[in-house]
Amino acid sequence: MKHSNAQKLRLGTFVIISTIIFIIAVYLIGQRQNMFNKTFTISAYFQNVNGLQKGNNVRYSGIDIGTVKDITMINDSTIKVDMNIQEKIIAHIKKNGIATIGSDGLVGNMIVNIVPGKGHSEMISNGDVIESYSKIGADDILSTLSVSSENAAILTADLLKITNAMTEGKGTLGVLLNDTIMAKELRQSVTNLKTASYGATKSITDLNDIIYSLKTNDNTVLGMLINDSISGKKLKSIVNNLESSSVEIEKAVGNINTIVDDFNSSEGAFNYIVKDSSLVNNLKSTLKNINEGTDKFNQNMEALKHNFLTRGYFRKLERQEKKEANNKKD
Amino acid sequence: MGELSYFTSRFLKEAFKRPFEFKELLKQCYNMGNRSLLLVGITGFIIGLVLTLQTRPTLTEFGAVSWMPSMVGISIVREIGPIITALVCAGRIGSGIGAELGSMRVTEQIDAMEVSGTNPFKYLVVTRVLAVTLMLPLLVILGDAIALFGSYLVEHVKGNVSFMLFFNQVFDSLEFGDIVPATVKSFFFGLAIGIVGCFKGYYCKKGTAGVGKAANSAVVFTSLLLFVIDFIAVFVTDIFYDL
Repeated sequence: MKHSNAQKLRLGTFVIISTIIFIIAVYLIGQRQNMFNKTFTISAYFQNVNGLQKGNNVRYSGIDIGTVKDITMINDSTIKVDMNIQEKIIAHIKKNGIATIGSDGLVGNMIVNIVPGKGHSEMISNGDVIESYSKIGADDILSTLSVSSENAAILTADLLKITNAMTEGKGTLGVLLNDTIMAKELRQSVTNLKTASYGATKSITDLNDIIYSLKTNDNTVLGMLINDSISGKKLKSIVNNLESSSVEIEKAVGNINTIVDDFNSSEGAFNYIVKDSSLVNNLKSTLKNINEGTDKFNQNMEALKHNFLTRGYFRKLERQEKKEANNKKD
Repeated sequence: MGELSYFTSRFLKEAFKRPFEFKELLKQCYNMGNRSLLLVGITGFIIGLVLTLQTRPTLTEFGAVSWMPSMVGISIVREIGPIITALVCAGRIGSGIGAELGSMRVTEQIDAMEVSGTNPFKYLVVTRVLAVTLMLPLLVILGDAIALFGSYLVEHVKGNVSFMLFFNQVFDSLEFGDIVPATVKSFFFGLAIGIVGCFKGYYCKKGTAGVGKAANSAVVFTSLLLFVIDFIAVFVTDIFYDL
């Protein structure tokens, strides 16, 4: 009896465990097909569903949110796709969402991708129809590839012609490839360029050093100008002053020009003095006469000093001068 | 074939007629279910390991190793799990029933039961066939689970795939079109094993050689029948579930 009871227990355990595993498996599969979740239905119209089937996944921003419920042909160019969507997702999908049909990986099942639309829109509700967008199908891609491959064939044929011409030494590139002298010259040029670039690098290094020293050394004029903000302000005010001075100078020069023009154009005394050469000659002779006159005057004065009528006056003047000189010495 | 059909129809008639031999049914369930567990478990585990190890290099070559759980899940649940478990059970249970009933026929125990007024068909055949029909789907479920666990172990060691990710991918790829037909198919596998085993044993020719022949032909014929049933099941599933 005990033996029988143990057998029953073992049998019961085996049956229960197997049944539980089966129920869990059914539940997990059903859950993924939204059989135990509350769902609502939305639809989209497509021109081509690219092999989409009932039960394929529906994704919103990459998350599985439902499955394809039904696919119905409306007319020759319109297919209606009904989708079961989990009710808990309803708050996140707007009416301006866009449905596209894509592939889950390169060789995976077809899926419906819903992407959020731009701008603000109302929340989606049961039975709504959202916009759809048909992606380029594999056939379209293949036809494009076919055109591309034809173009590639033409391109490679042309390229072959070019390379043949180049190997035969035709054209500029052919000469460049086949001419050994030019190659040597080019090599020499490259060497020269290398040397020049070394020199340029050195010069740039030196220049950098100079600039650095100028920047960092405040004792030099440029360094002070660069680094000293007070000197900079002063310099700025000097430049401003110079600017205003130059304006004033310009005005003055303008005035002088006007005066000079007036002098040149008018018949005044200055213009007469400057321009009349006979006047200069007259003046010269006059000055000569004056010199002669003063000489004679000096002689007359000397004669007066010795004249008995005026001699007293001159002696008096001499005495007065001596007296003043003695006073200054004291 | 005609005799087998008659035998099957008789089983179907007797199975729903009173009195029911519950005690004998439970005893047979224990013998066929629990005592096959170890064999089915080891077989399933090794099948899971081997399938993953064999497929992995090819999938790696195509850069599709992430599809391993889906591939293994579908192949085990749809086909490999039920057919391997059924073949193992055909070897163990089918031959056991054939040999047991054959020896009872040879030793005239079945005749004695008939003489004593007991219905030997109901007591011996119906209980055994029902037991194997009920136990095989459960064995298949456990075998599948153990095979998937074996596959997970390989994936975890070789590809560092987590338990959650592996079984998420397995159940993502599975549909009711995989699990329901496989389970229904398992009932028919069980029925075939039981019916053929009992038929071969029940109508065993006299002599000890007949017992061995009955056991042997039970296994051979059951194995063949299992593949025929499998083909029909896949064909029907294809119509209903559009695989």
